Amino acid sequence: MAILEINHVSKFFGGLAAISDVSFSVEEGSIMGLIGPNGAGKTTLFNCITGYYPPSKGEIFFNGRRLNGLDPDKVCMLGMVRTWQKVRPLAKLSVVDNVMVGALAHTSSLRIARAWAMDQLKVVGMEHRADFIAGGLPIGERKKLEVARALATRPKLLLLDEVMGGLNPAESDEIIQLILDIKKHGLTQMVIEHDMKAIMRISDRIVVLTSGEKLMEGTPQEVVSNPDVISAYLGESHA
Amino acid sequence: MPKTILKAAAGLIVLALLMAIPKYVESPYALHMMILLFLSVSMGQSWNILGGFAGQYSVGHAAYFGVGAYTTMMLMQAKQIPPWIGVWVGMVLVVAVALAIGSICFRLRGPYFVLASIAVAEILRLSAINLTTLTNGAEGILVTELPAFKIGERVVTDFSTKVPFYYIGLFLALLTIGITYSVQHSKLGYFFQAIREDQDAAHSLGISISLYKNIALGISAVLTSLAGAFYGIYVGFVDPPTVLGLDVSVQIMLICIIGGMGTLWGPVLGALVLVPMSEALRSNMVTDLLVRVGLVNADSKVGLFLKENLAHAHVLLYGILVVLVILFMPDGLMGFVKKLARRRKQEAV
Repeated sequence: MAILEINHVSKFFGGLAAISDVSFSVEEGSIMGLIGPNGAGKTTLFNCITGYYPPSKGEIFFNGRRLNGLDPDKVCMLGMVRTWQKVRPLAKLSVVDNVMVGALAHTSSLRIARAWAMDQLKVVGMEHRADFIAGGLPIGERKKLEVARALATRPKLLLLDEVMGGLNPAESDEIIQLILDIKKHGLTQMVIEHDMKAIMRISDRIVVLTSGEKLMEGTPQEVVSNPDVISAYLGESHA
Repeated sequence: MPKTILKAAAGLIVLALLMAIPKYVESPYALHMMILLFLSVSMGQSWNILGGFAGQYSVGHAAYFGVGAYTTMMLMQAKQIPPWIGVWVGMVLVVAVALAIGSICFRLRGPYFVLASIAVAEILRLSAINLTTLTNGAEGILVTELPAFKIGERVVTDFSTKVPFYYIGLFLALLTIGITYSVQHSKLGYFFQAIREDQDAAHSLGISISLYKNIALGISAVLTSLAGAFYGIYVGFVDPPTVLGLDVSVQIMLICIIGGMGTLWGPVLGALVLVPMSEALRSNMVTDLLVRVGLVNADSKVGLFLKENLAHAHVLLYGILVVLVILFMPDGLMGFVKKLARRRKQEAV
């Protein structure tokens, strides 16, 4: 069953079409990869899905519910949460307090929220950092904190925007493992990533965007063997 | 946890001392200073909830202070309604004003709330000057006779000394500290701070930004109006510049900025610094001190100049203080104290 359906979504900024007529759906329990060159509209699509920009055209359904025009906080309460490409830690708060903010979406008890937050920190392997001030974390741990905080809101669909960007190979491997672990728990994920090896390893299906349009959709094998994708990434001469 | 017990014990001792002061201290001047201190603590603490925790800088808190003060005084003068009833009317009005600003400005990003807060305070100040039938205009409202506070037939106090004001002030200061504490230790505090640190991140985590900003503003405005009403009945006089002027707004902010925003004890520290400082300047204590230590000759030109002008220079000195605080202690005195404590801890290890 499709948990997320995107039907003919377009987003215009003035006359510029950042996304034009993109449609696809994400199956429950799967990992959907979203790739494309810089400026292809991947993050804009995330912003449309999570309510930061209303789409100019088209419809978005989450669990059968129409999302157009719903604010990000409402979208989160419905069970869809995103992380940020440029990490956004609540810099002056401790790591566990950051995650508690997410956990408080569904409880008013600080005690319950703290316990739940510690569980999420264990999932990403950061429980030893709980009392550290979030602003002082290195980038690898900031990325993990983003994931833990998002998980704390008890999502059904997790949108990860370049969680491996800026990480070294060892750190990237940890994140890949983390994403696969999260999948085992039945959580659906949609992942934007530039690291092709990583995205091939984790995705069940991949959507390729170029300049706002959907170039193709398919399994990782189909995507790598498609000449259009190769030319979009490497230029015509390589196709 | 022995540390929490120690803290609680220290708190109780300070509280007992504060409760006992009027029993042993008879000097009205000393009591007056304490009352000003309590007032400043509650003003700073009220601003702290909105500015310090939720990160929304209001430069127009005089609006709430003034509406609280004026409503109570006007009802007392025109309708003989006692202040402990009038203050509730003030709170309702203040919530209406606050939510009118908040529901419009908190939808927008950028400096709109700051600007609107100043504008609203100025509109109210000008209205108070010009709506002479209601507010008595620039002459202000003078109410020297407070009705006696009775429970049943028993007269609790007739407000003939400063002592009842002392206890009301103390109650107000403790109330605002208590409310800040409970905000800090609840979902509200977490959400306010999340909004302060990163609005987009907070939004994505299920926090309704405009709702929680309005809640912060509402709490802050109500507490500020209480402080305003207390100021009105204590001084017995309100006029537009003293309760609705821009410098009232600035003073409220400064208590918090100097003490440390977003901390429980910051506004208390800020009040402890600012109240004695402005008093020392007002009463020319600084000049007297300079003369006494022999730095300045009282009859020289410099001495006369200082005597003449230093009392009016508190705004200038506030300015210098703010510059110093922002340069050297960006997290206020509280942040500075914490940093020192951390450093000492590290050295001890």
